[in-house]
Amino acid sequence: MTEKAVEETFAALFALIDLRQMFRETKPTYQFNSEQKKRIREIVERLKHSLEIIEKELIK
Amino acid sequence: MKNVINNIEVRAREELFININPIQPGGRLTPEAMKAIIAYGDGYSTCDWCRKPFRLDKIQRPPIDEFHTELAKFLGMDQVRVVPGARRGFQAVVNSLVEKGESVIVSSLTHYTEFLAVEAAGGMVKEVSLNKSNIVTAENTAQKIEEVKKETGALPKLIMIDHFDYMLGNEHDVCGIAKVAKNYDIPFLCNGAYSVGVMPVNGKEIGADFLVGSGHKSFASPAPSGILATTEEWADKVFRTTQMVGDLTKRRFGVKEVEMMGCTLMGANLIAMMASFPTVRERVKYWDEEIKKINYFAEEFLKIEGNKILSEMPRKHALTKVDTTESFDKIARTHKRRGFFFSDELKERRIVGEFVGATRAWKLNTYGLTWDQIKYLAQALQDIARKYGINVA
Repeated sequence: MTEKAVEETFAALFALIDLRQMFRETKPTYQFNSEQKKRIREIVERLKHSLEIIEKELIK
Repeated sequence: MKNVINNIEVRAREELFININPIQPGGRLTPEAMKAIIAYGDGYSTCDWCRKPFRLDKIQRPPIDEFHTELAKFLGMDQVRVVPGARRGFQAVVNSLVEKGESVIVSSLTHYTEFLAVEAAGGMVKEVSLNKSNIVTAENTAQKIEEVKKETGALPKLIMIDHFDYMLGNEHDVCGIAKVAKNYDIPFLCNGAYSVGVMPVNGKEIGADFLVGSGHKSFASPAPSGILATTEEWADKVFRTTQMVGDLTKRRFGVKEVEMMGCTLMGANLIAMMASFPTVRERVKYWDEEIKKINYFAEEFLKIEGNKILSEMPRKHALTKVDTTESFDKIARTHKRRGFFFSDELKERRIVGEFVGATRAWKLNTYGLTWDQIKYLAQALQDIARKYGINVA
């Protein structure tokens, strides 16, 4: 168990908040433009990165 | 949708629907505020680095002291405190200035919490009438002051007027009223619950002695949260510190402010306010765009035969009262779902926040919607009208 896992837990939560904001900005049709799609991709990548570190630090 | 726990449902209406609730849009959180709540949700989270003189507005980590300084500058006032809602701001000022039986001038559209603040202090509210356009003017305020003076033999102790009221979202002549207040040497509290945080507001330019704001109405902050700002002239009175000494222990708590009950807005609510502040500071610059949006919406709304707007026109605020008695209410009169048909139709189009079941006079607020969402909303209302045979120009 390391501080890194805690840090990445917050990073992942914050990334999900950013995703939540995307829903708010595009409701109720959710028609994402290319800039928004790019942003979503970045958020998902950020999440994957955080989860990989959490998994490595806590389970593997 | 999963529940938070047991029967507490996830509130996802801001993610799933266009929300036109009249009082909610300005308090919708920024992503930064949401993150702050995650990180600072624990009870006394702001107190980790509280050092002498042990008062919330003096804490340097996180930079709460700096926030107070910057917030005062932003509002064009000398000193500011955060409070649990605008109502606690009214209460602090009224408690400091008004004695039992004394009068306080308020508007005929004043919020009920201003009544309560006066009542709690033992004072009496004296309401200023509206002009034909439902505006509180300087002239009517001066007239009311004279009436109170004649009736009670004394001048009112305070004038509290809303910058924009909650019933119509109309702008009232706070600058003119401030001048009248100065002429009579009566302190003036400007209630900016619907303006501070969504549009540029400068307390000194208005001429206010006190400026009150609401975090959850207009500052992208959770409830309860609010702002009380004042000038150097009044700060010592409203933010006076305790003089009390314990008779047995001789304890005193010198730095604590009486009206603030010591520390005010602790924990996540304050940090969320701070986290939203950079966005708030920026977003007020785009108020004109919000006004363009509501006026576009109003234009489209009025294309529906029978629709009326009860608020002043053109709109100066996104909070707007409308009247659909001669349009959607006509349908409601014979519809099996009565007024709920309208809510059903809105919800089907992913729109919520209207007063459910109301089809006569009701309020909406378009603040913060994107242009796409504004157009969608206007189109949705016209579609509903067409569906029920109401003419759309």
